[in-house]
Amino acid sequence: MTSDAEFEVTASEQTALPVLRVRGEIDVASAPEFHARLSDLAGRGPEVIMVDLSEVSFIDSTGLGVLVGAVGDMRARGGDLRLVVTQPQIIKLLELTGLDEVFTVMSDASDAVRS
Amino acid sequence: MTSPMSVPGSVGAHGLSRVELSLPADPQMLFLARMAAAAVATRAELSYEQVEDLRLAIDELCVALLDSRSGAGQIALLFQWDAEGTLDVVGTLVPDGDPSPSTNGKAPERTGPPLSYELSQRILDALVDDHGADAIGGVHRAWLRMRRQELSV
Repeated sequence: MTSDAEFEVTASEQTALPVLRVRGEIDVASAPEFHARLSDLAGRGPEVIMVDLSEVSFIDSTGLGVLVGAVGDMRARGGDLRLVVTQPQIIKLLELTGLDEVFTVMSDASDAVRS
Repeated sequence: MTSPMSVPGSVGAHGLSRVELSLPADPQMLFLARMAAAAVATRAELSYEQVEDLRLAIDELCVALLDSRSGAGQIALLFQWDAEGTLDVVGTLVPDGDPSPSTNGKAPERTGPPLSYELSQRILDALVDDHGADAIGGVHRAWLRMRRQELSV
């Protein structure tokens, strides 16, 4: 068993708001794939991207670094990146790093679509 | 962060428990370090929240060691804890072959993205009671200390 075996990223562009759903653990092993998939989706030019982390059980500084880089790129071109986070330990991590003030964080994917 | 000279040695003579783990210095193997951290934290009777905190802290400690590697090697983790609830972890990057030149005890320079390094430091500052890193004779080390939080009734 490896953390990679549990890691899965799926992109959906069926609605006006493209969604990147991530499942498993985002660490130094899986962050490169996460970065590649997020960059690929952002490269298609959407104004806003939603990253659904509700099925992410673990994320470390490398995963957070990917998200911070992506939101910076999106905002530089007038867009945004929103997060859906439901896991208490990830909410806590965003708070202790101050990133809850950087990202638009929502607890439900439907809220992210509506706003 | 402590100075490089204050690597914790022993957490006390009485009731000292010790676990050692060696794993390849390979990002794909870090899940093993996290699993071991969770098991040790449970044995040390840390709270559920602290178990999760230690998993993340050990991951960050190992990422720091991975960032300082210049080739293949092993990460050796030493967990020591006492009955009073003080847990020390020392991670050492053991290179295959000759280690890189000495940095004379200074904290090693990481090769990873600066942003991730800053985030990692913030995480460790928040989650553990003490942490640090150094490199002596080309051997990179990183350590942390966590004390059990007593649950208020």
